[in-house]
Amino acid sequence: MMNLCIRFLRPLSPHSLLRRLKPYFSVFMMRFRIETQYRGAALGGIITQVFFGLMLIALYTTLYQSAPQTVPLAQTVTYVWLQQSCFRMLLSTDSELMQTVRTGGMAYEMCRPLSPYGFYYTRAMAQKLVGSTLRAVPMLLIAFLLPAPWGISLPAGVWQLGMFLLALFMGLLCTCAMSNIAMAFTIRSLDNSGITSAMNLLLVTFCGNLLPLTLFPDKWQKFIRLTPYAQLLDAPIRIYTGEYTFMQSIETIGIQVFWTCALIALGYFMWHRNQKHMIVQGG
Amino acid sequence: MPYIQVTSLQKSFTLRKKRPHSFRRDKETVHALSDVSFSIDKGELVGYIGPNGAGKSTTVKILSGILTPDGGSATVNGRIPWLERKEHVRHIGVVFGQRTQLWWDVAPMDSYKLLRDIYRVPEEQWKKRLGELSEALALEDFIRTPLRQLSLGQRMRAELCGSLLHSPELLFLDEPTIGLDAVSKLKLREFLKEENARNKTTILLTTHDMDDIQELCSRVCVLGHGKLLFDGHLRDLLSRYDTLQFLNIRYASPALLPALPEGCAATHRDGAWQIAYDPQKIQTPTLIQLLQSAGTLSELSAEKQSIDHMIARMYEEMHL
Repeated sequence: MMNLCIRFLRPLSPHSLLRRLKPYFSVFMMRFRIETQYRGAALGGIITQVFFGLMLIALYTTLYQSAPQTVPLAQTVTYVWLQQSCFRMLLSTDSELMQTVRTGGMAYEMCRPLSPYGFYYTRAMAQKLVGSTLRAVPMLLIAFLLPAPWGISLPAGVWQLGMFLLALFMGLLCTCAMSNIAMAFTIRSLDNSGITSAMNLLLVTFCGNLLPLTLFPDKWQKFIRLTPYAQLLDAPIRIYTGEYTFMQSIETIGIQVFWTCALIALGYFMWHRNQKHMIVQGG
Repeated sequence: MPYIQVTSLQKSFTLRKKRPHSFRRDKETVHALSDVSFSIDKGELVGYIGPNGAGKSTTVKILSGILTPDGGSATVNGRIPWLERKEHVRHIGVVFGQRTQLWWDVAPMDSYKLLRDIYRVPEEQWKKRLGELSEALALEDFIRTPLRQLSLGQRMRAELCGSLLHSPELLFLDEPTIGLDAVSKLKLREFLKEENARNKTTILLTTHDMDDIQELCSRVCVLGHGKLLFDGHLRDLLSRYDTLQFLNIRYASPALLPALPEGCAATHRDGAWQIAYDPQKIQTPTLIQLLQSAGTLSELSAEKQSIDHMIARMYEEMHL
């Protein structure tokens, strides 16, 4: 463990840092090439997500008409659009990476002069970031063009927009850490269906995909707000809509930093343990 | 000190076997490697053979730093692969014949760019090396076609290029010719010979294709039941089992086969005879004279026992 800490704390010159980061940057480029190759899939994703967005908004409009809520409707609509456009960032596991574990393709990744944790973390991040950006940008454009009750509102202010982007990035780091933990489980059990569905269930419930967290009872919210799931999208969106004050936003980023560090540490430890017991079966 | 030094390497796996008609499982320990030692010098091209499940791939995985052995030691160029993994893998290339290291969705060229950055190969050097490899392996036609659209032979050549881009000192090939057609196989062998001769790349080749071994490797190691059974020249290995020869004959008009001396066996098929004999016991011309005494021959050809038969006999005699 001591050894691990020292490795992280070793000082680096900017030049050698860039050199070290190059392979990871290259993983992003690769993802970009793959994503742009499957434009049809991206288009299909956008259509699905827009459809879901419109359905949810229709649902909430009806709900608000029969029983007015404390949260304004425009805010809930914004919440829905941001949720839908960043949906791809959330999915905790991705089948492509899981397949490399199941089929043993991972053996090759172990033959690379990189940290396997870092390499898989980057791959997960590239997939989430590139995939969701390519879908989110056109979707948000559509959402901005829609008329009043259906469209997304502008961010509450300039600092809210900046803070939102920062919090969204922290959420990305956090969800990638979760993805690597799911991978570590898969390496052990060789079957990802259990962990994937468990993680996705927790995810859609506690990150506000099923129902915006703002609509949960207040007592629940106090607890849910502290879970890592709430950090992924819910917290950034609340900053965007202006629900959080500046101090609350700072506090949110603090919680995000805590969870990101904790989950990365846990995942790193699990991967490190796995590596010692690794078995590559057959042929 | 030799380039690769392996001393009494051990590795065992636990298998769980399901009991019939029951949910319970029995545990069983399989000793994939029970005590394997050998050494390989720089620039050698060594064939590593043995029946399925002999522990060949396990050895390769240990030497490439993926698996940690249970006992014994191994060093490659003074490094212990599984402890100094990152530094070690920088200098090796691996081809697992049944898996793919290139990205499925993009062209090999894009994968090569990623590999360039992963291994931190300087741009100039990478370009030069890629040029050499793509010429030697004839990749030009499909280097920009997505991997999923390539044929098996094209893919294997592309894979090999991927493993050699960073000019590794040591190359592990795990069944590289599996499923390839004759032309692709010949090309691949030619290329490996060239690579070994020109860049002094040490190559450890596991295969079931005995022609690969005969064409490429001066030295073979035979592994069975997790133990090293033979280590030496292929010729020496074969001379132990290369005792039989065959004569194929056909008589111009139907004739009875003469009485053959002891140690000869004849089989009859479609009007032709195949006679198996030991040239140490009866000389070939003598046997031909004997056969001609029964009638005029319309066809005569001699044949050596195929290398696959010899290896099969060797495995049988070693109780593998």
